[in-house]
Parts: sequence; structure tokens; C-alpha cells
Amino acid sequence: MRSFSATGLLALLALCLTPVVGQAREHLQVFVTQPYLELHSGAGRGYPVFNVVPREDSVEVLFRRTDWFKVRTRRGVEGWAAQRDMLKTVLADGSPFTFDLGDRSGFTSHRFELGMFAGEWGGATYISTYGSFSFNSQLAAEVSLGQFLGKFTNGNTIDVGLTHVLMPEWRLSPFFTIGTGIVHLEPKATLVQPTDRTQETAYVGGGLRFYLTRRFFLRAEFRSHYIFTNLNQNQRADEWKGGFAFFF
Amino acid sequence: MERWIRVLLLTVAVATLSGCATVSNWFHHRREAREERAQAREDAKRAEQSPDDDSAPPRVVEPAVERRKISVPRIRSSNIEFGLKYGALSIEDFGTNPVYGLTAAYHVTEDFFFQGEWGRSKAGRTSFETLGGNIQLLTPAERHFTYYDLSLGYNFLPGEAFLGRGVALSSAFYVLGGIGSTDFAGDKKFTVNFGAGYRVLPSDWLAVHIQVQDRVFQSDLLGVTKLTNNIEMSIGTTIYF
Repeated sequence: MRSFSATGLLALLALCLTPVVGQAREHLQVFVTQPYLELHSGAGRGYPVFNVVPREDSVEVLFRRTDWFKVRTRRGVEGWAAQRDMLKTVLADGSPFTFDLGDRSGFTSHRFELGMFAGEWGGATYISTYGSFSFNSQLAAEVSLGQFLGKFTNGNTIDVGLTHVLMPEWRLSPFFTIGTGIVHLEPKATLVQPTDRTQETAYVGGGLRFYLTRRFFLRAEFRSHYIFTNLNQNQRADEWKGGFAFFF
Repeated sequence: MERWIRVLLLTVAVATLSGCATVSNWFHHRREAREERAQAREDAKRAEQSPDDDSAPPRVVEPAVERRKISVPRIRSSNIEFGLKYGALSIEDFGTNPVYGLTAAYHVTEDFFFQGEWGRSKAGRTSFETLGGNIQLLTPAERHFTYYDLSLGYNFLPGEAFLGRGVALSSAFYVLGGIGSTDFAGDKKFTVNFGAGYRVLPSDWLAVHIQVQDRVFQSDLLGVTKLTNNIEMSIGTTIYF
């Protein structure tokens, strides 16, 4: 049974590796319109230029890593071309080669966001991360995971909600958020033996996003959580957090 | 005086005569231009409304070349790194023990990356336990040291490593810092981590890391509340997706 699961794991690993290692796929061909296109030996501004592609020659775009494109020349030389140089190439029909740049316009309108926060949840230290998918420049669906570590209670939170950015084109843009979630509370054993419990929550909140540079922005947020208990009164917990995020 | 009158008369005569050719026709010229433009607009409108109209002049040359359509294949992004690590973790007061874990990173720019880690180790015995014979401070389950963290990393010394004359591998020194949580001795603690590492890429999709990190959290396990430093050194391998 053990060897079977090991074989399974290996097979899974092999499956994961397949798309990376062995791939025969069609690559995009772009043409150089500037006097030449510089190829660097690594994906970074400091790496030396070891080859150039002359005007009207073409390169195949293999893949992209951050702001660099790995390209292959017609002679089979592979190197890294900077994003700003690739912007000046054209496709075979003469139209410009366009791609997502990761600049201020990307901050206004993008597909995905990821971020991490530190803060406070109901008085306890809180660590949280979130991911979001934007339907348009204003509306996004968001999932946040968090853990709070308090003096008397630890716990985890999962929230799912919608976020509406009021002025996405502003550098400092406010947003509102609303959603629902669950909280798992683990009271620390001090006097009586308490039991862990999981409860549903709903939240409403708002915050600010501030574009820093490239793909990064800061985000500060407040959420007011309503915890649905089976007592006469629902409980409330306030969440304050600040952190950074990036879009892609 | 007489000369002045003659000059004046001559000037008037010259002005009027030269004007006959240019100025007098100017108004009509403008009118013609206006009419021409109106006609062109009307023609364009008519052509737009009835392109198949029989009255339209036949095309001399039918373009037989179809515009080439370029299908743009999606360019694969390779910014995500995922892998395993193994090393040694020095848990303050509990000795140095093996640690294993998972790492995942997203490279946002050529300089910055966002990294998440999860790791597990098992604490040894304190010197008090070793000297005291049968005394057990923690149960075996409480000895598990499990952590996760979220960090921001900065590649501050990118470069190349050379293997002989023919092979150059991309490499980078990086520093990273972040926050997370540590589950140890029956309690979870807010943990701050910081460290540095060296990454070398034998190929575009594979990286080998050597990393040293300190995880700092507040502990009151031994009676007094103090900040504990738990230094980890690990070697890991990651794959870029």
C-alpha cells in the first residue's frame, strides 16, 4: 500500500512536470522594427547583452517571466528580451505586439489580485491573505483567509465577498466590501475546558488602495463582522488590517 | 502737392486693378469649394447606403488578396515557483532538529517576489529535561513545531554562476521578511520571520535554494515571557510554472 502511494505520488509529480519539461507548442513570431533587438543572458536589467537581432528579422516568443520574454532567434539562439523592447516589435501582419504591462493602467483594470495583511481581529493579532478576481475595473469577487492569535482565543477565518472600487482610475482609491464567511474559534484552556466552535459570519467594510509602483499597491481595510451565535444576541468583531498586494 | 495727389491716385488704381484678378473671384471660389465638398459628402453617403447600386461605377480592380489573419498564441507566463525544502531548525531551548517543508513563490517583478512557506520539525529535549531524568516538559504531540509564513522577498544581488568555461547559470542573493504563525507546545504564536537566501537556476524551470531564516516569537513556556529566535537553514529545490 505504501509503495502504491509512493508510485502514485511519483506519477503525480511526473504529470506536474510534463507541461514544463516536454512541450512542443506553437510559439508566437514577432518582427523587429527597431535597428536591433538586444538579447540578455538572464531575466534582469544587469545581465549582459550577448546577441542582437537585426531589424526585420523575427524571433519566437517562448515564455514570459516578470518583465522579460524568453525568445529564440531564427538561428536558434535563445535569450531574454526586455518588455520595453518587445513593445516595439510587430506581428506578421504588421500590427503591434501588445501585452499586459503591469503599470498604472493595469492597476485600474486587471484580472487577479493577491495580497497579505497584518492587523487585528476582535482585539487579537491577525494575519491574513486574500485573492480576488475582477469582473470589471470596479467589481471583484474576493476570498480571504486569516488567522488570529489572541490571549484567550485563537482562530481561523474564511471570508467570501464582493468588493466595489469607487474610483479605480485614482491612485488612492476607496472601496467597499460585503460578504459572508465562517470563523473557527479555539479558546485556550485556562479555567474550564472549552470546546472549539465554528460559526457563520457576515461582514461589511471598506478601505483604501494606494498604487505604489509596477504591480504593487498598498491596501488598508476595515471590516465589521457579525457572528451568528445561538445566543439571544449576535456577536460583533471588528477587523482592521493593512498590507500590500499585487495584481496580474 | 500735385505729386502727392498723383501718387494717391496711382495707388488706388493699382489696388483696384490687381484686386480684379484675386479678390473679386475669391467669393465665388469659396462657393465652388463649398459646393464641391457638399457634393463629395453626398456621394459618400450614397455609396454607403447602396454599395451594390447599379448606378455606382464598376470597380476596375477586385482585390484578390485576402488579408492574412494572425492567430496569436497565448504566451505562457512562468512566474510561479513551487518546491520542497529540507534542513535544520534550531528551536530555542530545544536543540537543533531536522525540518522539512513546502515553499511557493510568485515573482511579481524581476526584483520582488511574494513567498509562502509551510514547515514542520520536532523539538528535542531541553537541558533541564536531560539532566532531570524523567521530567517531561511537553507531550510528544506538543513537541511538533509547525509553522507557516507569508513573506516579501527582494533579489538584491542578481548574477550568474559559472561552471567551468561553458556553463553560466542565473543566480540571485535575496533577502526576505514576513509574518506568520507557529504552532508549538500546544499554542499558536504570531511569528515574524526574516532571512536571506541564494537561488541558482540550472535551467529555466528549475531552481536550487539555500536559505537561512530566523523565526521570532514570544514564548512563556519556561516561566518567563521572552522572544525566542529559531534559526533555520535549509536547502530546497523549486520548479517554475
